[in-house]
Amino acid sequence: MSESSEMVAPNSAQTNGNDPLGEVLLRVEHVSKSYVDGHVRALDDVCLSIHRGEYLSIIGKSGSGKSTLLNLLGALDIPTSGEIYFEERPLSRSGDLDRFRSKNLGFVFQSFYLLPILSAIENVQVPMFETDRSPAERRRRAQTLLETVGMAHRADHLPKELSVGERQRVAIARALANEPQMLLADEPTGNLDSHTAHEIFELLDRLHQNDKMTVVLITHDLDLARRAERIVRMQDGKLTSVQHGI
Amino acid sequence: MRFHWFILKNIIRRRFRSTFTIVGVAVAVGAVVALVSFSTGFASSFAEMYEGRNIDLVVTKAGVTERITSAIDERLEDTFKSMPNVRDVAPEMLDVVSFPDFDLIGVLALGWRPGAMQFKNLTLLEGKRLDSAGLQVMLGTVLAKNLGKKVGDKLVLYDSGSFEVVGVYRSFAMQENNGLIVPLVQLQRLLDRKKQVTLFDIMTKNPSDKQATEALIKRIESLGKGLSAQTTAAYVQGNTQIRASRAMAWVISTIALVIGAVGVLNTMVMSVAERTQEIGILRAIGWRRVRVVRMILAESLALSMIGALVGTAGALLLNRLLASLPSTSGLITGQIMPGVIVQGFIVALVVGLLGGIFPALHGARLLPTEALRHE
Repeated sequence: MSESSEMVAPNSAQTNGNDPLGEVLLRVEHVSKSYVDGHVRALDDVCLSIHRGEYLSIIGKSGSGKSTLLNLLGALDIPTSGEIYFEERPLSRSGDLDRFRSKNLGFVFQSFYLLPILSAIENVQVPMFETDRSPAERRRRAQTLLETVGMAHRADHLPKELSVGERQRVAIARALANEPQMLLADEPTGNLDSHTAHEIFELLDRLHQNDKMTVVLITHDLDLARRAERIVRMQDGKLTSVQHGI
Repeated sequence: MRFHWFILKNIIRRRFRSTFTIVGVAVAVGAVVALVSFSTGFASSFAEMYEGRNIDLVVTKAGVTERITSAIDERLEDTFKSMPNVRDVAPEMLDVVSFPDFDLIGVLALGWRPGAMQFKNLTLLEGKRLDSAGLQVMLGTVLAKNLGKKVGDKLVLYDSGSFEVVGVYRSFAMQENNGLIVPLVQLQRLLDRKKQVTLFDIMTKNPSDKQATEALIKRIESLGKGLSAQTTAAYVQGNTQIRASRAMAWVISTIALVIGAVGVLNTMVMSVAERTQEIGILRAIGWRRVRVVRMILAESLALSMIGALVGTAGALLLNRLLASLPSTSGLITGQIMPGVIVQGFIVALVVGLLGGIFPALHGARLLPTEALRHE
């Protein structure tokens, strides 16, 4: 694995318009996020571009602001200042962030967050309630996605009947349910042993390479982060450096 | 997977709490259905007593609140008969008696003249109709069964007279089936109200002529005898017992409604609190606020509707049971009108909406990031 590291302009990981990485899918412009009446600054004037089909890792220690950044990238929260553009359209002017998320983003969480009462195939169908797909179409698509993540044989099992690695595979299938443009994974292997973690990363790699899926990965593990094409490091709410991996 | 299957799974998931909530709603709806059914059954039976015999006007003493306390001079009969638009007039005395040895209370005692128009539409099951002013009594079919009496037996009334059972009848009016009929003069004697009657039943020549009926009412009320003449419908509506039973039914129903709504509210608030993180996930994966509202409201409405089904079934069974018991069989028809069942389901709908709307809005207002942090 080759790797290069470069210093970036302070707190910036933006690229210019002729970027060899290709079309910019999401652009973060001077975004800050404060909590508790402005006394806690979780993000401080962050700039970042994410390209279509890119595999990006965001690393940093606990409290560095990486999860806050992921929440903003995923339109789960709104910045205190600055702007985020998706396909050059500002999110602040998107009237319906729920619809935006449903249509464009897939989330994978550290704790999987599968609904315990639903089988694997039913969990994968949950995001599709917000689409026009018929129940039969939803089921067919869920089956296909479970095949993609190697879980078709466990489709009718409840989460409690699955291993942690299998649960995360189902969660990834669920994230892909509405054909998102970008997959946001927050410490997706944080609860997995190294062997299972490796399998999950193999799966994310495959999605990225075969389906040209844009993947943004949050992790505190540099070895895992190195699987990405680009690594963004965060510290104290700021972007400190960018490395090119793989 | 369909959305309603997801809702059902959420309900089954918390089976104990869901069961208790359903039981709470069932009790509330069952109370509404049973009580409203009792009161409407009572009212309709009362109305049938008059309407079934084509009685158009009922004349009572003005200002009385209890119909059995009305007392009118029997000799006014001829005055009424001489009025225009009057086809027939029949005096009637009413009382309510008890048979404590048989655990029977509220038995209707009617004093009619033998051959009077009130006998019309009574189906004779055994024996004969009253044919003299002697110590004869006819028993309604329910009362005869409850007393274990048949034609030829003796029955002591008011501890002062042994009457011979001359006939057993079935009436279209539930109350009369649990009643008895004695000659008018006998009831006057037993109650020591000679030449007095409780009311006059008047049949008009042309019931569809409202103006003529109004004119007759005015004529009767202007006799200066302190009389009140009412159409049958108005008389039934104004009946104190019916009004009291309706009021009681609705008071208890309202209490039941509040208890049911609080039960559903409690369940749904707990459900939302327990599932805060789950709601955050649903929002994160793109569920709109309105779908979260739909999910929680659908759950509370489903609980309420299941409760309504159980409650209505319970009310039907209770109604049947009470209709078969001697002490209550004369007061309850055993039937529940479809309209009352609809009322029960409307109550359940209100309970579900009231109990679900606050938790639903609260759940929808949760920010995904805050909800996801919730443990």
